[in-house]
Amino acid sequence: MKKTMQMISVLTMVGIISGAALAFIYIYANPLIAQNQKNEIKEAVFNIFPEAKSYEPVAKGGQQIFSVKDPEGKLLGYAFQAEGNGYQGAIKLMAGIKPDAETLVGIEILESQETPGLGQEIAGNDFKKQFIGLEASPEITYVKNKKPEKPNEIQAITGATISSRAVVSILNAKIEKLKKILP
Amino acid sequence: MNCNINPACDKSNKCFGCGKEFSKGLWGENPIFVQVLGMCPTLAVTTKAVFGLSMGMATTFVLFCSSLVISSMRKIIPPQVRIATFTVIIATFVTCADYILKANFYTISKALGPYVPLIVVNCIILGRQEAFSSKNSVLKSLADALGMGIGFSGVLILLGGIREFLGFGTIFQQEILGKWFEHWVIMALPAGAFITLGFLIGLFNLIRSRK
Amino acid sequence: MVNLVLIFLAASITHNIVLTYFLGVCPFIGVSKKIEQAVGMGLATTFVMTVAAIVTWLIYHFILIRFGLPFLQYVSFIIVIASLVQIVEMFIRKFSPPLYRALGIYLPLITTNCAILGLTLFMVLRDYDFFESVVFGLGSGAGFTLALIIMAGIREELECCDIPKPLEGAGITLIIAGILALTFMGFSGLISN
Repeated sequence: MKKTMQMISVLTMVGIISGAALAFIYIYANPLIAQNQKNEIKEAVFNIFPEAKSYEPVAKGGQQIFSVKDPEGKLLGYAFQAEGNGYQGAIKLMAGIKPDAETLVGIEILESQETPGLGQEIAGNDFKKQFIGLEASPEITYVKNKKPEKPNEIQAITGATISSRAVVSILNAKIEKLKKILP
Repeated sequence: MNCNINPACDKSNKCFGCGKEFSKGLWGENPIFVQVLGMCPTLAVTTKAVFGLSMGMATTFVLFCSSLVISSMRKIIPPQVRIATFTVIIATFVTCADYILKANFYTISKALGPYVPLIVVNCIILGRQEAFSSKNSVLKSLADALGMGIGFSGVLILLGGIREFLGFGTIFQQEILGKWFEHWVIMALPAGAFITLGFLIGLFNLIRSRK
Repeated sequence: MVNLVLIFLAASITHNIVLTYFLGVCPFIGVSKKIEQAVGMGLATTFVMTVAAIVTWLIYHFILIRFGLPFLQYVSFIIVIASLVQIVEMFIRKFSPPLYRALGIYLPLITTNCAILGLTLFMVLRDYDFFESVVFGLGSGAGFTLALIIMAGIREELECCDIPKPLEGAGITLIIAGILALTFMGFSGLISN
């Protein structure tokens, strides 16, 4: 009986102390983590909209997006997050779209684990700048091994078609939802 | 619950002072090369040297703290529930490490991803508690923990360094090889991790057999 | 429905849990010497993985989230897994002694298989619903078993070959694993989602 009591009391004590320690760490770390995530979004938004002064979250039709304004308070466009599956894992990106929901302002890749040197180049400037001013109607398409000819076309990265295609379909899926609630 | 660990030193540990307890983890009983434990994080996060370093430090932190608590409590933990107790203690410290990383080193935390919580099942930690900390004094356990942790980190940094050098041409984000170098993309992929570690173990065994 | 099939295929082949995510490497190196061992370990692990996926999913959604305790995730998951292995072991020992004798030694080893904890963590990270989690558990188990069996097959063949002494054991196994990983990468184009 004594042994069982000892077992139970040690386990309970350990359990309670761990629980308390964890709760404490959580309270300390949580605000910092939230801040980090906010900073990440802020950086992405300002990278996409260089002339922006401020942005704020807007909830429309079930979608969480950000309206981005310039120093005079004029609406520059909307920033939105989207994610989907890439070649190696999930791709999470932020994109900016003009108020008319027809033209993209740019994209930023937030998270991706694509093949370094190939698929990972979606986070590189050469790929990203193709999306600046890209037409999103009827939808974004891609071509391989030649220069894009239409205003809604981009060129996929050589040797990384799947990653490039993933970015395009992630964007298309989200934009289609946004077109229903914007402008 | 077994970890297949090598209990070589326990029987004769009376003749070892703290120094030896520490240094055995660096070479003679190196957790990766000799005990072949803790493979998962070793292969997963060593795409770059800095990630190897961070993972190594996080693991050493958990190992150190767990050994501290467990060796202090070794007389009162009943043997029947020891594994359960060890596991809860280890998991608690891992959660702490994870949250601290997320709060203060956000980019590194994102790169290490789910492999930080996986430190919980890193055989090295449970192995050391079972084989050593639960049977030895606090000071010796701390020395053992530090030695193992640093030995582990060393291998991680080495592997990370090699893969980063050949796969990206950089070491610790410093560009070493110029643009002329055609990156060995395979080094950044799982295949490269397995193969490089395989050869490193081979090299280690070769050096050991020559001594 | 298609989604579930895709998750299964991804977990078992295109994003094989051992060869792509490095989970389960310790037993992978340790238990892959003979094909029968590999099959036994693989099946036992698959079973534990699937049940673990179910139980941890329930705990996560109905206890941790509901009561706002996400920080207890790692502690609770590992306790669940350890207990599960214990229960499975007792159960098999009582109801099927021959099966227990065949699998016996592998069961305790499963707890420290990072693949199990790993898959429960991924399941939470990827926000799978209940059925997706079950399929993910099954698929991961299948992938693990597949990798183990292939590796065991190769190693059995290698027994009659001359391997340089320093590379014997862990060294050559890892190199083979690397080549296997390369081959499995070829499957990535299978699923174009």
